[in-house]
Amino acid sequence: MRSRLALRALALGYLALLLVVPVGVVFRRAFADGVGPVWDAVTTPEALHALWLTCLMVLVAVPLNTVFGVLCALVIVRQRFRGRALLNALVDLPFAVSPVVVGLALVLVYGRTGWFGGWLADQGVQVIFSPLGMILATMFVSLPFVAREVVPVLREVGTEQEQAAETLGASSLQTFVRITLPAIRWGVAYGVVLTTARALGEFGAVSVVSGKIAGRTETLTLLVEDRFQGFDLRGAYAASIVLAVLALGTLLAMNLIGPKGERG
Amino acid sequence: MSIVVESVCKRFGEFVALDDVSLVVPEGSLTALLGPSGGGKSTLLRVIAGLEAPDAGRILIAGDDATPRPARERGVGFVFQHYAAFKHMTVRKNVAFGLDVRKRPKDEVRRRVDELLALVHLEGFAERYPAQLSGGQRQRMALARALAVEPEVLLLDEPFGALDATVRKELRAWLRRLHEEVHVTTVFVTHDQEEAMEVAEQIVVLNGGRVEQAGSPRELYERPANEFVRGFVGPLTRLGDVEVRPHDLEILLEPSEGSREAMIERVSLLGFEVRLDLALADGGDAWAQLTRERADELELEDGQIVYVRAEREVALT
Repeated sequence: MRSRLALRALALGYLALLLVVPVGVVFRRAFADGVGPVWDAVTTPEALHALWLTCLMVLVAVPLNTVFGVLCALVIVRQRFRGRALLNALVDLPFAVSPVVVGLALVLVYGRTGWFGGWLADQGVQVIFSPLGMILATMFVSLPFVAREVVPVLREVGTEQEQAAETLGASSLQTFVRITLPAIRWGVAYGVVLTTARALGEFGAVSVVSGKIAGRTETLTLLVEDRFQGFDLRGAYAASIVLAVLALGTLLAMNLIGPKGERG
Repeated sequence: MSIVVESVCKRFGEFVALDDVSLVVPEGSLTALLGPSGGGKSTLLRVIAGLEAPDAGRILIAGDDATPRPARERGVGFVFQHYAAFKHMTVRKNVAFGLDVRKRPKDEVRRRVDELLALVHLEGFAERYPAQLSGGQRQRMALARALAVEPEVLLLDEPFGALDATVRKELRAWLRRLHEEVHVTTVFVTHDQEEAMEVAEQIVVLNGGRVEQAGSPRELYERPANEFVRGFVGPLTRLGDVEVRPHDLEILLEPSEGSREAMIERVSLLGFEVRLDLALADGGDAWAQLTRERADELELEDGQIVYVRAEREVALT
C-alpha cells in the first residue's frame, strides 16, 4: 500500500516538476496584466502569419505522413522481401538524427549551391528560406509516428479477418476500407496526434531552412524565439500559449474520439 | 458442388506441406480432413479456398478449374479456428458482410440475416459485438456469415478446436444437423479422430503432406490401409506381437485356447465403459475396454488374474 502511494507520488511529482510547473509559469507570466496585452501580442500581423504558417505545416505534413505511415506499416508487417529490415530501420531515422542536422542536409541538397537547388531555382522554385523547405523539414521530422504506432497494431490484428473478408467476396479496396482501416484506427489516430504535436512544435530543422524572415518564414516556434531574443517576453509568452493551446486541443481531440478506457 | 483436388503440391521454403495430393469430395457430402498437426490438412483446405496458391496441381470446383481464381471468386465459405470475427461490427453486420460488399438491397439483406441468425440460434444477439459472445456463439456467427453468400462449398478449419469439450460436442452434433438442412458440400479439418468419426461421411487421412487413406469412417476403422491409419483412427494395444483394438480384447476368468495370463493393474470406470490396465504374465503391458455391464458381470478388481484373448485383429487391407 505504502509503496504504491510512493510510486504514485513519484510519477505525479516528476510530471509536475517537468511539465506542469513550467507550463503553468508561462501562463501566469503571460496573463500577469490580464488578457488584453496577450490578445494584442497574438494578433499582430507577424503573429497571425506565424500561426497560419504553423497550421500550414500541420495541414500538409500530417495527411501526407499519415498516408505514407500506414502504407509503410503495411509493407513492413505484411510483406516479406530483402530490404524490409532496412526500411524498418529507415523509418526510425528521423528519431535518431538531430533536427538541426536534418535542416543542414536539406540546405545541402536544396540550397542555391546544393544538388538540386540550382536546377530548382532555374525553374523558379525556391526551397530553402521558403515555406516549401520548412514543410519538407517538418515532414521529415514527423515521419515515423504513424508507422510506429500502426506497426504493432497491425501485427496484433493479424490477417485472418482480411482473409475472411476476401472469402466473403470483398475486393482488396473493400477489405482495406471496411476491415483493415477500422481495425487499426486507434493506432492511426494516436499516430496522427503525435505527428501533429511534432509538426506544431518543430524548431531545429525548420529554423535552419527558414531563414527566419519575420512575417514570411516564421512559424510560431520561431516567433517565440525571435520575441525572446528581442526581449519581448510578453510576445514570447503569448505565442507559447497559442502553441500550448493547439497542442492541448490535439490531445483533447484524441481523448474525445479515442476508445473509452483504453487510453487515459 | 463437388471438389476435385488434382496432384497438388505446396512447399513453404524447405518444408513440404502437400506432396502430390489428389482427392475427390462428392457433391453434398460432409468430409473430414484428419491428421496430426503439420500433416498438411489446413494447407490443403486453404489451397481449396484460394487463400494459398499451390506450387503444382489443380483445384476443380463443380467441374471448373478454380486454380487461377482468387478466393473471392471461388464461391467458398470459410470458417476459421479462431473465428476471424470482425470485431468492430455487430453480429448483424458481420453476417451481412458478404451481402453488403455485393451491394444487395437493404431489405433483402435484413431478411436473409434474420433467417441465418435463426438457423444458428443467435436471434437475440444481432446487435451485440463479437466480444460480448461466447466462443461457441462466435463460431456460430462465423458460420452464419460464411453461409450468407450461399457458397458452393463450405470449408471449416478446425472449427471447434478453440472451444471447450462440452461446447465442442454440442456443436459437432449441430453441424451434422445443419448439413442435413443446408446440404452444401462441406469439408472440415480436424486432428481429433473421434470428431471426424462422429461428424463426417467421408474421412481423408493426411500425414506428412500425403493422403494416407480416404474412405468412410467404418472402412478406415475396420480396414485401415496402413499402420499409420490404423494407429490414428482408433486406439491400439499390443498382445505379444498382435495389435488389436482395446475393445476387441476378450477378458476370461479361466484359461482358454489362445489366451494369455494377465494381472489387472487398475480398473478405471469411464462412464459407460471400463478401462483395464493389464500386465501380461509373459511381459509387456496392454489395456482393454469393455462395457460396464460386462465388467460387473466378471466382478473385476485391481490385482486380479485374468486371461485375455484377441477376438479380432485389425488387419491391413
